[in-house]
Amino acid sequence: MADREINPFATQATWFPRFEKGVFWIFRLATYAVLLSGFAVFGTIVVKGAGTVFTTRAPFLNVAFLTQAPETLYVFEYDGAKHELGAKDYRAFRETEEAKAKAAGKPAPKFESVESIVYSSGGIFPAIVGTILLVVGSMAIALVLGVASAIYLSEYAKNGPVVRFIRLAIINLAGVPSIVFGLFGYGMFVIFLGWNVSLLAGWFTLAFMVLPVVITASEEALRAVPRGFRDASLALGSTKWQTIRKAVLPYALPGVLTSSILGVARVAGETAPIMFTAAYVVRDRLPWQVSQVSDFFFQGVMALPYHIYVVSSKIPQNVYTERVQYGAAFVFLMLVAAIATGSILLRNRLRGRYQW
Amino acid sequence: MESTAPSTAEASFVITKARTRVFGLSWDEVIQFFFAGNAAVAVVVLALITIFLFREGADFFRLNSSQNLAVYREAGLEYVDIVRDQEKDHAALNRYLADVRLQALKYYRKQGLTYPEAAAKLAAFDDYAGRYSDAIEPIRSKISDWSDFVTAIKTKFGVRADQLAEREQLLAAGKTAEAAKVKIDVVDARKELQPVLDDRASYQEAAQQAAQQLTALARQLPEAPTPELQKRLQRFAELTRQYVATFPATEKKLETWDATKPIPFYVSVTSFLFGREWLTASFWQDWYGILPLLVGSLMVSAVALVLAVPLGVGAAVYVNQIARPFEQRWIKPVIEFISAFPSVVLGFFGIAVLGEALRKLSQVPWLSGLPGFPIAERLNALTAGCLLGLIAIPTIFTLAEDALNNVPRSFREASYALGASRLQTIVKITIPASLSGIISAVLLGFGRVIGETMVVLLCAGNRIAIPDFSAGLGAFVQPVHTMTGIIAQEMGEVVRGSIHYRALFMVGIVLFFLSLLINYAAQKIVRRYRISGG
Amino acid sequence: MVTTTPVMPASESLDPSAPPRPAANQRLFDSIPMRATPVTPARTVIDIQNLDFFYGAKQALFDVNLALEEKRVTAFIGPSGCGKSTLLRCLNRMNDLIDGTRIARGSIEIRGIDIHRRDVDPIELRKRVGMVFQKSNPFPKSIYENIVYGLRLQGVRDKTRLDEVVERSLKGAALWDEVKDRLHESGLGLSGGQQQRLCIARAIAVEPEVILMDEPCSALDPIATAKIEELIHDLKRDYTIVIVTHSMQQAARVSDKTAFFYMGKLVEYNDTRTIFMHPANAQTEAYVSGRFG
Repeated sequence: MADREINPFATQATWFPRFEKGVFWIFRLATYAVLLSGFAVFGTIVVKGAGTVFTTRAPFLNVAFLTQAPETLYVFEYDGAKHELGAKDYRAFRETEEAKAKAAGKPAPKFESVESIVYSSGGIFPAIVGTILLVVGSMAIALVLGVASAIYLSEYAKNGPVVRFIRLAIINLAGVPSIVFGLFGYGMFVIFLGWNVSLLAGWFTLAFMVLPVVITASEEALRAVPRGFRDASLALGSTKWQTIRKAVLPYALPGVLTSSILGVARVAGETAPIMFTAAYVVRDRLPWQVSQVSDFFFQGVMALPYHIYVVSSKIPQNVYTERVQYGAAFVFLMLVAAIATGSILLRNRLRGRYQW
Repeated sequence: MESTAPSTAEASFVITKARTRVFGLSWDEVIQFFFAGNAAVAVVVLALITIFLFREGADFFRLNSSQNLAVYREAGLEYVDIVRDQEKDHAALNRYLADVRLQALKYYRKQGLTYPEAAAKLAAFDDYAGRYSDAIEPIRSKISDWSDFVTAIKTKFGVRADQLAEREQLLAAGKTAEAAKVKIDVVDARKELQPVLDDRASYQEAAQQAAQQLTALARQLPEAPTPELQKRLQRFAELTRQYVATFPATEKKLETWDATKPIPFYVSVTSFLFGREWLTASFWQDWYGILPLLVGSLMVSAVALVLAVPLGVGAAVYVNQIARPFEQRWIKPVIEFISAFPSVVLGFFGIAVLGEALRKLSQVPWLSGLPGFPIAERLNALTAGCLLGLIAIPTIFTLAEDALNNVPRSFREASYALGASRLQTIVKITIPASLSGIISAVLLGFGRVIGETMVVLLCAGNRIAIPDFSAGLGAFVQPVHTMTGIIAQEMGEVVRGSIHYRALFMVGIVLFFLSLLINYAAQKIVRRYRISGG
Repeated sequence: MVTTTPVMPASESLDPSAPPRPAANQRLFDSIPMRATPVTPARTVIDIQNLDFFYGAKQALFDVNLALEEKRVTAFIGPSGCGKSTLLRCLNRMNDLIDGTRIARGSIEIRGIDIHRRDVDPIELRKRVGMVFQKSNPFPKSIYENIVYGLRLQGVRDKTRLDEVVERSLKGAALWDEVKDRLHESGLGLSGGQQQRLCIARAIAVEPEVILMDEPCSALDPIATAKIEELIHDLKRDYTIVIVTHSMQQAARVSDKTAFFYMGKLVEYNDTRTIFMHPANAQTEAYVSGRFG
């Protein structure tokens, strides 16, 4: 026997552990690369956009940007100084200056190298309003249809060919590109039903697009309600509908709503389906400025995502346009981010609370 | 108790009840039908999408063959295009020559010559190139004459089509009297085209002249500085001879060309599915070939998947198998959060930041060896692909992570119990067991990417042409246009009901069925290779 | 409220210090405290005739004939998968809710009414034939709301009536004293045994005639089990009770009549005492003596 005891369980000195560590580092790098690129996009837009939306003076919020309609920006030289003014201010400024000059008996003042850039002044208020209207309307439709479908699938449906077909349809609907929904909405609502470019057409197009998300989320929430609740209720002599209404829906509802908020994020974030169904490039009147109630549903609106598309593709990239471009992107990103974060947090909390 | 006569006790045991009935259904059944109806909405919507896409798009093939392509032939545009092709081939040879010149110039510069010195050395070469280019001038002038002629005929067809449309509109509106008043021009294409056809003799003369010149030029090649370039010039002479040899074939084509030959219907289909050109609102002839768009979509998706598959699956493996719980807890929500980025914002980021950043990066000297670098266009397939990758990553990550999660714990434990390390277990057990889920995750990521609109519309560069694949991987930094992008871009501008409008719907149909196919494949894979006994 | 013959606490029989189990050839149930009530024949409430039952293509019950008596406790025993729970769920047509189930032959009559008759409403049936499940399943509502759930469905709004029913049901389920001060707290805050008694209270609140119990104690500890068993004994005065149980001791302790099932067939049905003391069938004997094979 040797002096030293031999430990058969000692770590073998091979290259393998180091290799394993190396591989794990590659995976880690991949993960952090993803996170980093996410942060890069988010950070750039936040940093540059915050400059538009927030100000250094009280109330620290660029109220005009959030409450005004887009305007054409005029850049010009006057009196040796460079000025940037919105269309309205520019005209007013010009008139007063000319009047002043006239009063003083001087020749009309010179406005030099006047340059006009559309949409680059004012704010994005109509677009925000339009987006909110589109989201609220389409989610209302999608929730009614989606929750009802989910109730059928989880509570009534027996597993047969019909239900399998419905499920197949739902899965496939989820994979249809959003632009195809746009085309469909245009063909059906705008042309065939003659609704024109309108809120109503946008609502239905978006609602159909988000339907699979809502159905899947609702069904999951309904299935999370324990079978025992249903059994107990039925054994007490309640009808199927009474059971659903009293012993299933109340407990599934929080889950349905939180998961559907992800659908809200999707609805708010999509541009392609509303391009030809609901969105206007620019509209002077606000949605509630209509002569009769029915007009409300048949009017097109400005929408934030479409506005971002317009300002990022139809006008040049320069110091004057950057303000509105980054500002709109920032506000929109914040809106969607808030909805998404809210739903993720809420879901995590509710998952903890509703455990039976 | 055996007696059937109801005693008082039995009378109190009432389990029958007449319930309210609506159309022979109990109230509960009515409710059930209501819900079933709602569930059927998904099916109905899918059916409606199919119906409306076809309603607007299906007429494309008929219109394309009966109007667009028919006029192309009847008005003689096709006839002129035969000669144009001949000219195009010559232009390709000119480019070949220009490339040789460029190489020679580079060689001289490397020899230490200044630019004017090098140019002086190439003077003879340039003279030759000039003569070569001018050699087919007679043919060019024929093309130009004929073009003016046939476009005039085409315009007449256009006027006629407008008149027909106007009459149809009036008829649809019930204004029969006004409809009858609309004058419909009669276009006698045969008569009008006759002068061009009769002009064939003068073309033959021009072609002969050109052929002689080119053959002569092929014999007296200019000097090239290196043997290698000399060889290329030899090849050029060979190509020229081959080119001249095609002249009789062209003449034959012109001779047998028949304006009255009807266009078979299938040509309309093949010219859409395999057409290499998407050319609209052109002064000459509109072409609706989906290939450049399909290739663009596939290229952008390829870039996206090359980035997203390793990163997405890698991140899924890391988070599910390797990361500490603390990391897991915050990485997953962050990646889910990335999936909520609106695509239009990403597209804007591409225009405002990424495009320029990639171009700057491509100008770094030590990266210039990469294919396609330095990048010429700020917005190209690579820029769009990178952003689409970011869109696909969360999809792939979430689904792949689910698949990994579904691998039964017992598999892994069995592996550990046999003395496998963590990496061995991951590679040998966990990933193979979840492979079908991972593959379907990748497929669904692909579906997401190919259907994405805003990013490609804003960042892909929107040049409708099949990229030049002779540049190898460099083709990926060329601007492309995509199926989704073309719909979004042109839908707003087309005339409702026109061929162009219907062509866009056809692109939508292709996109729709492509997405169904991808979805179906993903489903199939998951179902076929599902882990049993989990 | 109720005084009965003193019952030996169930826990006692499980006491490790209890006399060792008799040898296999001896009658095992000698050591089990059995209800001494003599079983006099009573009216038949539920009459099951020639029942064949299928889950899809798989037959679960074969030609079952059984007459259950009024205000008696009948126990269904047998090994897992023998069809006893299936039969129980047939009695209030809870099986209707499972896909692919069907009765191929035979009938079930309750008080002379075939429960599968066209004009029988399963909803009304379930009001008269209540059920308590294996896993206690109170709704995540207050104790009070749990109990009045069934009444509210029937449209009862009268507050005093509801209060009355809550008190009566809770007393009936021997839970009143334990929860009377926290009626408006969540039912989920109760212990396992209390939750199960709450479910029983909920079932009796709608005043059924028959209560079906599907292994009501399988998830409970011995003390809670003893309480439920005592409760069953009390409930027998007003209700006909059918209980499915895995524990032979439990069957022996609580039931008047016992039916032994094996492989979907009713093997033997008789007074509990007879089943355990002098089973007619060799399989029954093997099962009740623990020599199952």
